[in-house]
Amino acid sequence: MNAMNDVSSKVDRRADDVVLAVRNVKKHYPIREGVFQSVVGHVKAVDGVSFDIRRGETVGLVGESGCGKSTLGRCVSGLSDPTGGGVYFGLSKAEVARLDTLLADGSAAAQAELAQMERRHRIDRLEGAAQRHFRRNCQMVFQDSFASLNPRQLVIDIVGRPLRVYREASGDALTERVVSLLEQVGLGRHHLYRFPHQFSGGQRQRISIARALALDPDLIVLDEPTSALDVSVQAQILNLLYELQRDRGLAYLFVTHDLSVVHHMADRLVTMYLGRVAESGDTNTVFETPQHPYTRALIAAKPDLNDDEGRTMQALEGRVPDPARPPQGCRFHTRCAVATPMCGWEVDDVVRWLESSKGVFDALEGVDRTNAFDAALRFSSEAAARNLASTLRSDAIPAAMQQALEDVTVSGGAVRVRFREVPEVELTERGPGHHAACLINPSHSSSGAN
Amino acid sequence: MVDLPSPSRAAAPVVRDSAFRVRMRRVRDLTAQILSNPATVIGSVIILAMFAMAIFAPWLTAPNTPDPYQMPRDWAATRMPPGTPGYLLGTTNEGGDVLYGVIWGARMSLQLSLVVVGSVLVIGCIIGSLAGFIGGKLDEILMRIVDVFLSIPELIFALAIAAVLGPSFGNIMFALAMVMWVKYARIMRARVIQIKNSEYIDAARIIGDSKLNIYLRDILPNSFTPVMVQATLDMGNVVLIAATLSFIGLGEAGIAEWGVLVSEGQAGIASGRWWASTFPGLMIFLWGLAFNLVGDGLRDALDPRTESSR
Repeated sequence: MNAMNDVSSKVDRRADDVVLAVRNVKKHYPIREGVFQSVVGHVKAVDGVSFDIRRGETVGLVGESGCGKSTLGRCVSGLSDPTGGGVYFGLSKAEVARLDTLLADGSAAAQAELAQMERRHRIDRLEGAAQRHFRRNCQMVFQDSFASLNPRQLVIDIVGRPLRVYREASGDALTERVVSLLEQVGLGRHHLYRFPHQFSGGQRQRISIARALALDPDLIVLDEPTSALDVSVQAQILNLLYELQRDRGLAYLFVTHDLSVVHHMADRLVTMYLGRVAESGDTNTVFETPQHPYTRALIAAKPDLNDDEGRTMQALEGRVPDPARPPQGCRFHTRCAVATPMCGWEVDDVVRWLESSKGVFDALEGVDRTNAFDAALRFSSEAAARNLASTLRSDAIPAAMQQALEDVTVSGGAVRVRFREVPEVELTERGPGHHAACLINPSHSSSGAN
Repeated sequence: MVDLPSPSRAAAPVVRDSAFRVRMRRVRDLTAQILSNPATVIGSVIILAMFAMAIFAPWLTAPNTPDPYQMPRDWAATRMPPGTPGYLLGTTNEGGDVLYGVIWGARMSLQLSLVVVGSVLVIGCIIGSLAGFIGGKLDEILMRIVDVFLSIPELIFALAIAAVLGPSFGNIMFALAMVMWVKYARIMRARVIQIKNSEYIDAARIIGDSKLNIYLRDILPNSFTPVMVQATLDMGNVVLIAATLSFIGLGEAGIAEWGVLVSEGQAGIASGRWWASTFPGLMIFLWGLAFNLVGDGLRDALDPRTESSR
């Protein structure tokens, strides 16, 4: 039948094919305020992310909650359209190289070729058969297995639905296909006529997986698929996913905050911080020689049975800054233990620091910004202004921040602060296929690692 | 639940379960749960009795000719007290049989509530679910219309419509439908928006199913609970409101309708002829009470917070 052809054609496909290429994807949500709902800013949930997913591999997408990983997962699966950049599906390795050349080339000829390529491969520009081809080949498993299954449908309807939508089977043939799918995920015929609420969390997640497998996709986006499960059940589901991948050559985008899970599952790792990629590379390489202090902090915070006794788990300190106004330079510098004066210290850092020292913050009346690095802070009294200026010159503030200060002058009730202007930190290559967005050279900072 | 693989299970013949059988079992379980509440049982019994009375009215009393919904007049037996042979509940000033009014009034109430609630349920659900599902400009326009209707007090609006169109039973039904559909549109829209944002809608989109299918298979089947509860409560409320409108003179004089009977009988209360108003009044009370009991029971049984347990 249909399915047989699909499987055989899959074997023929080149192993180094790129299933999906993410290029400079941005998802900005407008912040509206006031009577006329005018846009006063944007929450930059995802702010320029690029990576590839190759056939049969697992890419782990990790980060704290609020870093934009789930939003990116939704963009990749086509559930929401990116506000910038694009997600490209079904390109060969050569075509991806061509795509990158075209994206970098601004000429009219290149733009025309790019437009043509986007009509066939960019998922938010697809139509008709191409759209259906993508939809069939990119499925998703959600975190909440209860919420992602229609409570009024029976298992046979839930798992058989994709087959009905694409008219692959009906009647008894459909029932048999569903039974075979259920058996592949460790359930059986006797589960056909049950409602989702009659199953345990792990079993429900198996039903979700069976539904995702029904159309024999190339890629499944797994959005925290095990986060809501007990540890023992987690392991079962992870093993199931692993076996399915081995048997079918599936590619996974594994979105999670759990590094232990990713360590076991992922071939490659992408860590995200505040909508940008902090580090990406082979899982083993990243775990052995993490290049970004954020990745290092995540790994240090991961509980591990092999840890030396007496070694304390290190938690990341501080809060994730507001994604509507991400920090300059390196976005992680506000929480980084090894930050340098070049990491993007800015006026907002002074404001954030003031917020934690209440007495001075209350005296703050306003901030007149020239740009992110240069502003005058107005205070209600000159004393308060002098107080801040002297604090900024003392070592009460982080040394790196102090060194980044180029100018602190008091005039009347205002303090003018000017920091060194630095560009946003770009990803740089640290090894084969290993990239990190950090200024610090690893040979210098190894003492900072734990 | 966990299914342990056991030799006996493997050897046992496969049970030919079917979707129909499973759904019937679910209906049965749900009914059992609803009926586990004594108040709901009492309400259900009253409703069943009322329905039986309404349906079998022509066999319980000889229908008046030519119009069975008009009170029969026996000018030889006016103002008879209850217990008079042939007039178990007495007669009115005009010699109308109170028992006849009680029984045929049930038939009228049933018609009234089924027609009014049925039509507002259909209209409200269509408008509300489309507004919620499609959203955007359509939602804006429909909801502003709903706001206009909601800004006028229900009873006064019905009164105005009935007053303009003239006193008749049909106009009361029309007036009630006009004021009530907005409530259903509101409830349905809110529920549809809630369901629309649930993850199983995302799951259906990921499969690539059409909007129409998502609307029919995911949105609608999961959206009916709140309006069904409201409809049950309103089955009682419409009879109360219709009786109120009849009582203040917007009903058709002389028909076998409880509100009209109460209104026409009230003059006699001061002279000790309590029966002409009391028995129809008691019926209105029982009708309203029964549907409220069942409606509350349904609400508890179908509470979304406990829905996961079924």
